[in-house]
Amino acid sequence: MENKKRIVITGIGPISSVGIGKDEFWKGILQKRINLKLEKCFIGNEQWDSFHLHKIDKFNIADFGIDKDKLNDIKEWKEGEEVIDLSYLIAAVKLALDDSKLKYNSEDNRISLVLAHENIGLMPFGFKVSNLAYEMLIDKRKNEISKKVFFDEFYRKFLKSGYDVQTFADLFHVARVFNVHSYSLFLNNACASGLYALEAASQIIKQGQASAVVVATADCSDIYKYLWFKNLKIYSPDGKIRPFAKNSNGLVFGDGGAGIVMEDLFSAQNRNAQIYAEYIGGGFNLEGWKITVPQIGSDSYQKAIQSAFKNSYIDKNEIDFLCPHGIGSQPIDYYEAKAITDVFGLSPKKPLITAFKPYLGHNLGSSALLETVALLLSLNNNVIPPTLNCDTLDPKFNISLVKERKEIKLNMAMKICCAFAGYNAASIFKKID
Amino acid sequence: MQNNIPDNLENELKQLIALTIGISPEELEITTNFWSDLGVDSIKAIAITVAIERRYKVTVRDEQIPQITTVGQVIEIVKDALKKKSDGK
Repeated sequence: MENKKRIVITGIGPISSVGIGKDEFWKGILQKRINLKLEKCFIGNEQWDSFHLHKIDKFNIADFGIDKDKLNDIKEWKEGEEVIDLSYLIAAVKLALDDSKLKYNSEDNRISLVLAHENIGLMPFGFKVSNLAYEMLIDKRKNEISKKVFFDEFYRKFLKSGYDVQTFADLFHVARVFNVHSYSLFLNNACASGLYALEAASQIIKQGQASAVVVATADCSDIYKYLWFKNLKIYSPDGKIRPFAKNSNGLVFGDGGAGIVMEDLFSAQNRNAQIYAEYIGGGFNLEGWKITVPQIGSDSYQKAIQSAFKNSYIDKNEIDFLCPHGIGSQPIDYYEAKAITDVFGLSPKKPLITAFKPYLGHNLGSSALLETVALLLSLNNNVIPPTLNCDTLDPKFNISLVKERKEIKLNMAMKICCAFAGYNAASIFKKID
Repeated sequence: MQNNIPDNLENELKQLIALTIGISPEELEITTNFWSDLGVDSIKAIAITVAIERRYKVTVRDEQIPQITTVGQVIEIVKDALKKKSDGK
C-alpha cells in the first residue's frame, strides 16, 4: 500500500566559503562573495604543490553552542586532533536543528541521522601512514626491517586511528553529540551522496522508523584529493569553475558542509514549523561503467531524471528551476547537458538552470546537499542567481543557463547530479502552498 | 590470430576510430595524434573507449583513456586487454 506521508524540509544549515548559516550563505551568494584562495601544500618543511580552493577562513566549532564535554570526548578519541570535516558535519547538524526549532526528548527520541561523506578520515589517516612509513624507511638505513616488524609497528600505531576511516565511528560521534538514538545511517554515493541521503531520510520517515531525520554531509580539500583530480586532468589550473563553458578547464574544491531537517508534513504543521519545501521524490541509478568518467552515449542519467518524474507523478514542464552538477569539466558537462536536453528538449524556456559550484567550489561528497540548500533558498526567495564564469556557453550544449540574476515566481525545482562511478540522482522539491 | 588478437587489428581500429570521430580511415596513420592533428577531445576519447569495449568485449581502464592519442597507442591498449582476457585475468 502506498504510504501517504508527505515529507517536508523544516531546517537548513549550510557551511561554505561564501558564508556559514542560512542568512550569511544566501547573502554571500547574492553578493557573489567568492573566497578563492591559493592553498600551498607542505610536506614537512618543503612546499610540494599548490592549488586553488574556495576556502572557509573562519570556522571554530566552539562557536556553535555544542556541548563542550562531548566535543572534548571526540578530540580525545582522535588523539588530540580536530578532524575538520567531522567538525563541519557536527556544525551542519546543529545549524539545521536550530533552524528547524525541532525539540526532542533524548530518552524517547524519534530523530534519525543520515550522514554522508565521500572521503572521511582519508587525509589524517594518509598522513599518519606516510609519516610512519617515512620514519621506518629512515630507520631501515640502520637496521633491516622485516615485513612483520613493520606490520607490528603499523598495527600498534593505527589500532585506534584506523577508526578514522571507518564511517560508523563518525556516525557514532555525531549521534552522541546530539543525543540521537534512533535508526541512523552513513552513506557514500560519491558526489551524489546528498541526494541519496535525502531519499533515504524520506523512506525512514515514511516507514515509521523516525518522525524526523537530520541529513548532513561535509567534505574538505586536501593534497591527496587534489593530486587525484590533478592526475585525472579535471582540476582547473587557474582556479575557475566554468560550468558548460566553451573554455571550461576543470573543477576547484570548496570546503564546507550542509544539514537539512526532514519531517512529515503533518508533524511540521502541528508544531507550526517553517517549511522550505516538500521533498516530492527522486530518481536514482548506478551506471557502473567507469569510476572517473561517465559513459558518453549512455542514457542512464536521463533515465534517473525521468524516473524522478515517474516516481513523483510530476510532469517535467512543472519544473521551474534546475540545479545541475555543473563541474566545468568537458566530458561531464557534455554528459549532463545531453541528459538535460534529452529530457527537457533543446533550449527550452523551462527549466531555468543555474550551477552553484562557481560560488561554492566543488564540495565533493557534500556538494549535492550544499547546492540543494542553495536551491531551497532560491525557491523560497523567488530568485535564481546567475551561473558565474560561463562567458560563452559551449555551442554543443543547448541548455537555458541563467547568466543574469532572475527574480521570478518559483514553485518547483530539481537538483540533479552525475557522480563518480555513475551514481546518477535527481530530486524534486516543491513549495508548500 | 594469437591470444584472440585479430591479424588485421590495425585496420579494424582505424575504421572503428574513424567512424567514431567522423573522418575517413585514410586520414589515420599509426602515429597521427587524434588530439593535436584531428581535434579529438576528452568527449570523443570516451566515445572511442565505448566503441572499443563494445567491439572487442574488453575493459579499458580509467587511466588508459587519456592514453588514447594515436592508433598505435590504441592497438597497445586493445592488445593488452585481449591478452588479459585470454589469460583469464
